[in-house]
Amino acid sequence: MAFLEVQNIQKSFGKTEVLKNIGFSLEKGEVLAIIGSSGSGKTTLLRCINFLETPQHGVISVGGEVLFDADDPSKIKEKEIRKNRLHFGMVFQQFNLFPQYTVFDNLVLAPKLLAKEKLKENGAYFGATSYKNAVAAIEAEAAQLLKKVGLTEKSDEYPCNLSGGQQQRVAIARALALHPDVLCFDEPTSALDPELTGEVLNVIKGLKSSDSTMVVVTHEISFAHDVADKVIFMADGVIEEEGTPQQVIENPKSPRTQAFLSRFNQYSD
Amino acid sequence: MEQFWNITFQLLEGFKENCILFGVTLLVALPLGLLISMGSMSKILPIKAFCRTVVWIIRGTPLMLQLFVVYYIPPLLTDGSFKFSDRLSAAIIAFVINYAAYFSEIYRGGIESIPKGQYEAGYVLGMKKSQIFFKVVLLQVVKRIVAPMSNEIITLVKDTSLARVIAVGEILKNAEQFTKQGLIWPLFYTGAFFLIFCGVLTLLFRFIERRLDYYKG
Repeated sequence: MAFLEVQNIQKSFGKTEVLKNIGFSLEKGEVLAIIGSSGSGKTTLLRCINFLETPQHGVISVGGEVLFDADDPSKIKEKEIRKNRLHFGMVFQQFNLFPQYTVFDNLVLAPKLLAKEKLKENGAYFGATSYKNAVAAIEAEAAQLLKKVGLTEKSDEYPCNLSGGQQQRVAIARALALHPDVLCFDEPTSALDPELTGEVLNVIKGLKSSDSTMVVVTHEISFAHDVADKVIFMADGVIEEEGTPQQVIENPKSPRTQAFLSRFNQYSD
Repeated sequence: MEQFWNITFQLLEGFKENCILFGVTLLVALPLGLLISMGSMSKILPIKAFCRTVVWIIRGTPLMLQLFVVYYIPPLLTDGSFKFSDRLSAAIIAFVINYAAYFSEIYRGGIESIPKGQYEAGYVLGMKKSQIFFKVVLLQVVKRIVAPMSNEIITLVKDTSLARVIAVGEILKNAEQFTKQGLIWPLFYTGAFFLIFCGVLTLLFRFIERRLDYYKG
């Protein structure tokens, strides 16, 4: 069984069926890029994985543990969902940083709240057994993450004083601060000026390692080609084509994939 | 000169009533308004319908009429066995209900203006609904509603003089008594009390706005 298993996801909004029986799997350390035109269901799929939408059908599991099963009501309870969400991190198109907190506090807010709760529940949070130790660890890690995304000197700034690219890098660090098993990106560069997309894509590229599993919904085809281990092309709520970047992007078999990609190639050399 | 200080002192006696009415209304209506706004946004339909109807009725009728209703209706319904011993209490009840309705709409506007992404960011970071509200959303709401709230609160200061219609001994009622002695200026002099009070409030709100100015968004 693969590390991340997504099976038979079906999601409708009213009468519109947005996802029609979608399934894919991903091994630990792999990067999956989901491409496709607007309205194909890419973002909805990602939101289902993060439990921001509840699919009508389907099963989601990570590391063999079933986190969501539409037919099992005990898995759809709010408390359960909140716990299971922590397996996933999410980076939004619009960053969604908390404007009233500094960059540093954006990173440590949720981990601190979680540490307090975990310590009360089972006396430990990532090895720390007292709140003081947990906070020290959380803060040390936050500083490290900021270094990783190249924003150490912006630690005490408020998000409004940062460029879009910097805000998105903070958002990535914030998601990483909770040690998610799978990190999801929802068109992370779509709200950015072209000259700022590079810095964000480079950070994402830099995260690629043997133990970070990522799912990236993107319109950056060349990024998908260079970074992803696996590419899915979605159209009208189904997976039209999937495979390695060489298979899907270089030699697409489906006419729809070919048509979609030809629009990108039109302007690139 | 002695007459001036005398009258000032007597007007202050009346203004004390205005201040009590203002203070108690603010203290009770601010949290009550939040409760009503939660009701107006509730997913439970009967609660939502009830709260929105109350707000419609309260905002749709004059405060002066509401004062009459609160003061005169209970004795009428109970054949006189229940009567407000204290007119100020009746005024406080009417004001609290009226202002809670207005505050609730300001809260609702503020809460609904917070982008959905703020909640979603909280959710994906494993935060509880209550944590998202208190740690993420609340301060942003406060920042957004300071201006409309200050407007409404300044209106409240002046509205307290309406309590005169059920004969609460507030400042305008006191001033009117001097007209019987042929003195008209105390009536106009009351304006100074309101101006000073509102001036202080304006400074206070400006201070709060500045304090929240450290971030944008």
